[in-house]
Amino acid sequence: MLSSLAFLLLHVLLAGAAASSEYDERLLLRPLPQSSLLASFTFRSTEPASTFSQQNLRYFPRSLGQILQHAHTEELHLRFSVGRWDAENWGQRPSYGAREGGTGVELWAWVEAQSEEEAFSRWLTLTNALSGLFCASLNFIDATKTIRPVMSFQPEGDHKNASNLHVLHGTLPHEVVCTENLTPFLKLLPCKGKAGISSLLDGHKLFDAAWQTMSIDVRPVCDAVSSTCSVEMEQTVDMVLDVDRAKRPRDNPIPRPLPIDEIECDTSKPYNAADTCYPLDKTAEPAWNLTEVFGRPLKGDCPLTEQAGDNANTVCLNIPPERTVQVNTSGEYAETQFSSGTLRCYKLPTGADFDLVLPKQQMTTGLVLAKPPLYAARSINGHGQERGSVQAIIKNPSATEPVEFVYLESLPWFMKPYLHTLRARVDTSPESPIRETYYRPAVDRQRGTHLELKMVIPPASTLTLTYDFEKAILRYTEYPPDANRGFDVAPAVVRLLSPNSQDKKGIYLRTTSLLLPLPTPDFSMPYNVIILTSTVMALGFGNIFNLLVRRFVGVDEAQTVGTGGVGGVVRGKLNRLKALLGKG
Amino acid sequence: MALDQQQALLFGVAAAVRLLLFTAFPSLPSLLAGRVEVSTPVTSFKRLQEGLFLYTHNVSPYDGGVFHQAPLLLPLFSLLPNPSYHPFATNVVFTVVDLLSAYALAQVAESGQAAVTRLFTSSRKDLRWSSAAIAAGFLFNPFTVATCVARSTSALTNLCILTAMAKASQGASITFILAISFASYLALHPILLFPPLALLCYDTRTARTKHAPNPWMFAILHTLGLAVASGALLVVSAVLTGSWDFLAATYGVRLLLPDLTPNVGLWWYFFTEMFDSFREFFLGVFWLHVASYMPGLTIRLYRQPLFVATTLTGIFAIFTPYPSIADASLYLSLVPLFRHLFPVMRYTFLASSSILYTSFLGPAFYHLWIYAGSGNANFFYAITLVWSLGLSVIVGDSLYAALRDELDVDRPELRGKEVKRI
Repeated sequence: MLSSLAFLLLHVLLAGAAASSEYDERLLLRPLPQSSLLASFTFRSTEPASTFSQQNLRYFPRSLGQILQHAHTEELHLRFSVGRWDAENWGQRPSYGAREGGTGVELWAWVEAQSEEEAFSRWLTLTNALSGLFCASLNFIDATKTIRPVMSFQPEGDHKNASNLHVLHGTLPHEVVCTENLTPFLKLLPCKGKAGISSLLDGHKLFDAAWQTMSIDVRPVCDAVSSTCSVEMEQTVDMVLDVDRAKRPRDNPIPRPLPIDEIECDTSKPYNAADTCYPLDKTAEPAWNLTEVFGRPLKGDCPLTEQAGDNANTVCLNIPPERTVQVNTSGEYAETQFSSGTLRCYKLPTGADFDLVLPKQQMTTGLVLAKPPLYAARSINGHGQERGSVQAIIKNPSATEPVEFVYLESLPWFMKPYLHTLRARVDTSPESPIRETYYRPAVDRQRGTHLELKMVIPPASTLTLTYDFEKAILRYTEYPPDANRGFDVAPAVVRLLSPNSQDKKGIYLRTTSLLLPLPTPDFSMPYNVIILTSTVMALGFGNIFNLLVRRFVGVDEAQTVGTGGVGGVVRGKLNRLKALLGKG
Repeated sequence: MALDQQQALLFGVAAAVRLLLFTAFPSLPSLLAGRVEVSTPVTSFKRLQEGLFLYTHNVSPYDGGVFHQAPLLLPLFSLLPNPSYHPFATNVVFTVVDLLSAYALAQVAESGQAAVTRLFTSSRKDLRWSSAAIAAGFLFNPFTVATCVARSTSALTNLCILTAMAKASQGASITFILAISFASYLALHPILLFPPLALLCYDTRTARTKHAPNPWMFAILHTLGLAVASGALLVVSAVLTGSWDFLAATYGVRLLLPDLTPNVGLWWYFFTEMFDSFREFFLGVFWLHVASYMPGLTIRLYRQPLFVATTLTGIFAIFTPYPSIADASLYLSLVPLFRHLFPVMRYTFLASSSILYTSFLGPAFYHLWIYAGSGNANFFYAITLVWSLGLSVIVGDSLYAALRDELDVDRPELRGKEVKRI
């Protein structure tokens, strides 16, 4: 329980820091079971609203600020994610899932506009501009990938004229997030990855992580007391690294088995011998240091951060108090401990490399991981490329509290769900868990399906949601080059309504994306199909019209009447002309 | 016309077979409703259920890409209990629809218009099957049974078309106009049946009354009647759904083919593989092609309007955008009305064997493509080509036989001799 307290405390620290300073950055490191390591980077800058509107920017990146003003975007949330958060082993998500995105790219924004059409055209402006800024295919978020969520998203910022704000949401589950997205992300930071904790971010390690999500959130924040407003930008990177994998040297990355005498064997196994070994589970915490795990050293403090007292705790470690930590630096640093030693924070030296070294250690106490309020998993059932059904299993682990949540599905138009087959069952009660439904069906090639369900799940129960769908066959030009790989379906978004979070960010979780195989035509033969179909039609048409326009005569009469067709007609005319001339 | 004992027995057995299939194999309806050969996007029962669900939950079913069927079906089916839990009422409705269709077909057969019309009497007119036999051919056709068990709404379209034929062959103008406007309201293309069937109606009216009605007045009145009836249906639908959106979602889908779900027709794969810049052009050409048969056939065979209507149903089964085996079953059930043409037909073996061959290989090849993954789309496409070819051989061959039959009457001296087309 202590550790989750520490986790909360860190959030409070971060929140307190935002009001006082204009730029602030933090890194929280937290070992997870099975030698994983969670690293949460947070970079936050604020700009007074008055100077923001005059484009007199200090820490806020000008490129992004101009885009937001041009597209009349009041609040922006952009996510780049890879991998899956393993809630069974890793527990509660960082920031309660509020800074997490679905696999691929996810974008939602509150756009100020007088009408829905204007909002949509500004949304397109926004996606196109962001596409250029982040080197991502955001410009492919068109009407078929855009929805207008009703219950799933609430604005985080303080907005003055909320009636003119339109929330639009788009996802690109197929997008592969990679280094070209990290570089522009780092360029938005004041220290641009040259100093401070951002100097640890390396594409090779970040995109090799078991799970990583990069987020950019821009929101207006107003102080109720002084009634001054500012624009806050928060950039976060959350990643779960496999320590063993991350420690592999870059020039020799292929994992090789250890020599047998270095492996700890389970000697109770009957087949244990000199040449056979069943490896024992590692009980010791692995050794690691920052330089090894992130592939680069931490190059001291970012000089632009506001340094003041307790808030200068840039790097924090959430580890049991008994764990040994050595600090390797030539500069001056300071260490502070919170929550009875489970949270150790360091003030970084300026202009000198900083490294934390944790040796291999046999632990007697472990961290208690906070349990997530819900577990969600979603999969496709059925076989064949014609139809299938989606099954979402949502589990409430709490023994006492019921959980109310909104389940959002944004499906591509070529996956056609049948809402009349939607069934939601809870294993502990016969009552339907669905409280409210919002459904906007897809229209072929114009928009996708948008389904939002408000549901309640009783304590210690499992909710199973199923619905059938049919797969459409597309025009051959609409398939991507790797058509037989299948199409990606965006993850479902689950937002918890109660128990609610303390701040306006909300509590979210996302399922994994789905791979939807569609029936494919033969791409090699458009000409053949056109020719063969036309032949069959011509046979039918020719046969029937041949019968209709000609008349029957006896075979013996055919000679005297002359053959049919144009030749026969001409010959008949000639004969008549001859007869006329002969008469004359 | 009272049902005689033979017909009562026939209808009883047909109803029993259907209800037995429904109750003995409870999963059969949904299995068949999922088959692309039976259910198309514009007739599928599952999509009708989705439309009903949205309709009863106050979401416009036409503001989406799933439901493309006529709006009046919604209040009709919302009266029935939910078929997911209590399917019996729906099953009974579809069984009754089939029986009514068979009854209408029997009426057409009894009118004798197939062989003897006002202007033409076939020389082989005594060669015919009884109306009960023809109704049995419809009721026990496996395609019809499959359509009924899949609860495809094309069964309703077939009922309207057969009723229109029955009423036209009895000279009952008002019911004929109502039936044909319902049919075209449900499926759009049956409107092409109006000219030949109006001609048939005119013939029977003329034969019944001593002095013939003025043909121009007759044509204008009937066309007006059709316009009024169809207009009324559309207005009622618009009032019912609260907007005119249904036009684009129902007729727009049939005209523009946005949904390329495979079916037994020729359109889906053609437009899957079509270059984008030529799509609109070929849509126009294909529809023009379907419509072009009606004037030609009606003018050439004006003496046998029922045969024209039958041939047109055959054309629909091949060349419309979303054909299914229901359309083929309608055509194949109407062909036995022209028993007197069978001796003159030339390719019956070829046509019937290709229909049989595709009926078995079609589902197999579809399985290979979609489920087994060991075949590709061309397997199923090839079968639809052969199926269409087989049906068009029947259409062409019966047309040849009808023309030959006319020739035998016009020039009796050529009977049995070899003829040539010029």
